[in-house]
Amino acid sequence: MKDFSYLRADSVEAARNAAALPGAMLLAGGTTLVDLAKCGVAEPSTVIDISHIEGLNAIDVTADRAVIGALAKMSQVADHAAVKSHFPAVSEALWQAASAQLRNMATIGGNLMQRTRCPYFRDPQNFPACNKRSPGSGCSAIGGVTRGHAVLGTSEACIATYPGDLAIALVAFDAEVDLGERKLKVEDFFLAPGATAEQEHDIRPGEVITAIEIPGSAATRRSTYLKIRDRQSYEFAAASAAVGLELESDGRTIRDIRVALGGVATKPWRARAVEEALKGKSLEEDIVRKASELAMEGAVDHGANHYKIALAPRVVARAVLELGETA
Amino acid sequence: MTVHDMKHAASDSARLEAVGGRLSRVDGPAKITGAAKYAFEQQLEGLAHAVLVGATIAAGKVTAIDTRAAETAPGVLAVLTPGSIMELKGASDWFGRPPAEETYCPLVREVTFSGQHVAAVVAETFEQAVAAAALVKVWYDETPAIVDLSDGSDGIPIDAMTKEWGDAQAAFAAAPVRVCAAYNTPREFQAAMEPHGLIARWEGDALTIWEPSQWLDGMARTYAEWFGVPFENVRLVSPYIGGGFGSKALALAHSAVAAAAAKMLGRPVKLVLNRPQNFTSYGGRAATRQTVAIGADREGRIQSIVHRGVNETAVDGMWVEPLGSVTSIMYATPNFSSKQNVVRVNTVVPGAKRAPGENPSAFGIECAIDELAYELGIDPLEMRLINYAEQDPEAKKAWSTRQLREAFAAGAEAFGWAKRSPAPRSMRDGHQLIGWGVAAGTYPVRRAYGEAMVKLLADGSAEVESSSIDMGQGTYTILAQTAAETLGVPVKQVSVKLGDSRLARAGVTGGSRLAGVMTGAVYKAAGQALDELIGLALSDPRSPFHGLQANTLVVKDGRIASPRGDGPEISIPELMGTLGREKIEAKGDTVPASFTPQQRYNNYTTIATAIPHTEGDYSRHSWCAHFVEVRVDEDFGTVRVSRVVSALDSGRLYNPKLAESQWKGGIIMGIGQALLEEGIVDRRHGRIVNGNLADYMLPTNADIPDIQTISVGIPDPHSSALGGKGVGELGIVGVAPAIANAVFHATGKRVRDLPITLEKLI
Amino acid sequence: MTSQTHTGQTIIDPPEDGHFRNGSTNQPSPTTLSLHLTINGRDHALEVEPRVTLLDALRERLALTGTKKGCDQGQCGACTVHVDGERVLACLTLAAQVEGRSITTIEGLADEDGTLNAVQAAFLEQDAFQCGYCTPGQIMSAVACIREGHAGSDEEIREYMAGNLCRCGAYPHIVAAVRQAAKELRS
Repeated sequence: MKDFSYLRADSVEAARNAAALPGAMLLAGGTTLVDLAKCGVAEPSTVIDISHIEGLNAIDVTADRAVIGALAKMSQVADHAAVKSHFPAVSEALWQAASAQLRNMATIGGNLMQRTRCPYFRDPQNFPACNKRSPGSGCSAIGGVTRGHAVLGTSEACIATYPGDLAIALVAFDAEVDLGERKLKVEDFFLAPGATAEQEHDIRPGEVITAIEIPGSAATRRSTYLKIRDRQSYEFAAASAAVGLELESDGRTIRDIRVALGGVATKPWRARAVEEALKGKSLEEDIVRKASELAMEGAVDHGANHYKIALAPRVVARAVLELGETA
Repeated sequence: MTVHDMKHAASDSARLEAVGGRLSRVDGPAKITGAAKYAFEQQLEGLAHAVLVGATIAAGKVTAIDTRAAETAPGVLAVLTPGSIMELKGASDWFGRPPAEETYCPLVREVTFSGQHVAAVVAETFEQAVAAAALVKVWYDETPAIVDLSDGSDGIPIDAMTKEWGDAQAAFAAAPVRVCAAYNTPREFQAAMEPHGLIARWEGDALTIWEPSQWLDGMARTYAEWFGVPFENVRLVSPYIGGGFGSKALALAHSAVAAAAAKMLGRPVKLVLNRPQNFTSYGGRAATRQTVAIGADREGRIQSIVHRGVNETAVDGMWVEPLGSVTSIMYATPNFSSKQNVVRVNTVVPGAKRAPGENPSAFGIECAIDELAYELGIDPLEMRLINYAEQDPEAKKAWSTRQLREAFAAGAEAFGWAKRSPAPRSMRDGHQLIGWGVAAGTYPVRRAYGEAMVKLLADGSAEVESSSIDMGQGTYTILAQTAAETLGVPVKQVSVKLGDSRLARAGVTGGSRLAGVMTGAVYKAAGQALDELIGLALSDPRSPFHGLQANTLVVKDGRIASPRGDGPEISIPELMGTLGREKIEAKGDTVPASFTPQQRYNNYTTIATAIPHTEGDYSRHSWCAHFVEVRVDEDFGTVRVSRVVSALDSGRLYNPKLAESQWKGGIIMGIGQALLEEGIVDRRHGRIVNGNLADYMLPTNADIPDIQTISVGIPDPHSSALGGKGVGELGIVGVAPAIANAVFHATGKRVRDLPITLEKLI
Repeated sequence: MTSQTHTGQTIIDPPEDGHFRNGSTNQPSPTTLSLHLTINGRDHALEVEPRVTLLDALRERLALTGTKKGCDQGQCGACTVHVDGERVLACLTLAAQVEGRSITTIEGLADEDGTLNAVQAAFLEQDAFQCGYCTPGQIMSAVACIREGHAGSDEEIREYMAGNLCRCGAYPHIVAAVRQAAKELRS
């Protein structure tokens, strides 16, 4: 790890100013930044510790809206009673992420800035080619070991999977990220690689995430996050789905549905085609399974990750069907 | 050197203290309070930190190394390269065979695997060394690498592995029922939680090494030979070992770098491999491929087994993973043929991982017998009993003890095997397909000669000393129990010192031999000490027992008396005081009297004097049967083990509490092997891409159900002095095939390539 | 200019003159920090570079080696300590970041008189470890797991202890130990 200067910011404004310094990076929980600095991927010249800023960790939740401060810990949000009751998918996405220790460290704002787990991205010494790290250098993953790589939203520049869980739920429920001067949809905050794999987030120098806001609805109240992986715990998703469901009073007809996918795409992936196919339809297994296949429209595999194309729709279908069985 | 006080263990009742009692781990209090200092946690003045630079190619030459930036980085003391590191002498191998090369350079110019050490940076602090290591620039002339088994030829035949009797090919061809399939296991890693590393310190020509070690004397010999100093000048200290599983028995290239750096700088040097380096600096289990062909009659009786195996080895080193070791002894067969080849690939030389040989061997034969059972429509458990080997089919000798039939019976009963629905895909719970599988396992009783020092002190306490080690098997505890029982003193009065090569010598801790060897040695040494005490008590005129008409005395709970109960009864301290003795000490050993000093030295520093498990009239092995329930999600292909019942025959257990822990540990490592663990190589680079604990997945707590183990062993006098057989290696053998068989029962899919990951089932 | 110094380091407020106080340019240069860490109730002063992790500060500077380094990259849990009572990984925590927080390591878990914490005692009784290397992390994690209320069932214990790898395979005994300690602490 290269050495760096360490500065503590005690206000958001201080953080914004410091974040504008060349080579400055913000440190909240440290679970991404310190990790990537050890890998040689992140080389900040100055680390701005924002973890001591007070008042940024509030969790304010009603049935209509959740506002979660950027410095709230993943564990606090996961265990928050109102989040569990009004936004169960958010709680479930959080407690199934990482480990209890990491969730006690990682913040909600920092979680949105989590980087891919692509092994080529994380090993600059052995794999110099990575468009995410050094634009134009190429992609070491294409043609390599691709079992964990994305099948949606890929480009010739990058096939790295977005690894997080929370953002899948946020994207499903049209959450917004508050950057102070501006707010934008979480879905728009994340950028697919295209030809500019190095740009993962729509965030500008000097901007600091202060909160996320999630509008509440019948679909957030009846929601779930289903995460499938090789290991039972402490692993990133092979495929996951955040699903919210609102049924008509007949208890069978789908009035509103939200579907987003994790573990299979280069960014948190909203599956609108599935939603459109199911709105107004009856909640029946064959209908749901068939509609779920639409989640893979445009999917491209790279060999070892081919299984994700079969797996992801099944995860969506299971999540929808199990949600339908809950009262 | 480490001494454990028995304060906390003393709460256990006296019954627990004897050999065979469930005494809690005596090193436990140190481990649960953080007081246990592991080898490279020693605090030394003037410690410098070394960090290695690994090759980024798998094959080729280092053409240039630019060290300038690293040398001028803050805190850097030295940058070592093949050209600047001191020259070492070649060292003999673990059989004691002299080295092929006169000199040895642990930093290489000729790269034969990715990650091989090409340079090292030594700095004042760890952080400075890490940062400077990243500044070392290396240029290569890369040549094509052999990436894995599929790249090579048929490989090199290992004739010593060939086993044949009858006419296996003809009998297989003539058999009315035949199965034949290929079974593959990937490169696996030991992945002990404590990484490899060491602190090396020179004082003149004397070298002290603090390093986690499964073999202090063997590693001390290597260091002594590398640096051309007498064996006695090297002291290895390894008070606790944070897991070894076969990986920590040898001094390796990184060890040489640290010791050389310490010599060159005149300062103690600490070098610890980072986690990715732990996947490239020493070998895990070699990838293996086997074909197993079984011919049987229609009643299920095996007529022939034809087995062919191949394992990967290194370009610059040889490792043979004996793939026919279980194949040849598990079932009775009149015709048998097993042959094995190795294929050289560009990898660090593979090494020992829990039950090397037996583990993959069992995967082949125990899946194949399951396939045969389905082919014939015979229950897989019944299939195994039909072909039960009443004697060793290979050695044609009686088993010393073989409680495998009892293991099948006890395991089946506890598991409820009789309730099994035989057809695949016939048991389910919602979306979960349920499968029940069985497989057997075995491991030979590896025996060796050992020694121990036992001291009886004036205060009535006793000390046991040995340069053997405790990496979690419970050596501290069972040796305390052995000494306490033999001497007749309370276990809380016994302290055990291990992990220092200055103590009584010990051979390698591996192959489940330590407990048998060391309890035997301590039993003998303690017996000698006791004999001396009793002899003095009867013969010394000052003794109250002097003149007593008795041949011997009994010692119990630290008190000494005549066996008939007449005459005096006094405590050991009282007797020692009366005799005017500070201590009585005895170094006992089980080494043949005919051994020369050189043979004794070789006995502890090589594996050349190991005693064959089929020596004499008996064939000695431990045995087990695993019963496993899996739940496979029919949509996702995810496999979860929901129940395990294992019945095991390790002979007499010296401490069942600790033996059960080791068995379960082996079973859990087997679950990882079956479902999760695989070193994945990028074929373009010849490099493991998942060399870390997030991507090379070990089971987590959430992956493991409650596990029931049942001991079915009986004391085996042919296997060890106190009747025990091997424990630590046994548990893993047979777990992977039991799971694979259960997955077949659940899904109807036969997965013959480990690990059984979800994409193989959807 | 409203910057202020706090235990030897600079806390940034908006710079009014475009200059931070600890340097002549906008870009501060790496320096050694003088930290005061509160560990197991005691104050420890140390001089470290900003990049030094809490784990290396404990093990290499303060001789508190009970906290183990298993992977050094957040993947094994061996370095689990408590910061302000919450379990975290010391390998991904900068030492500088936890100045002003209260840190507890395995060495600080038992009472001053040596009386073991209920979790420690249960680990010994249940033989919830073998080599012992992951054990301090397991115990620190277990203490927090119980305190968090995540030890309600065996299934919950397994999930909430999944961040602590054990290669010796002590998991079933760890579950038994956490279950036992949780019961004792509730009663």
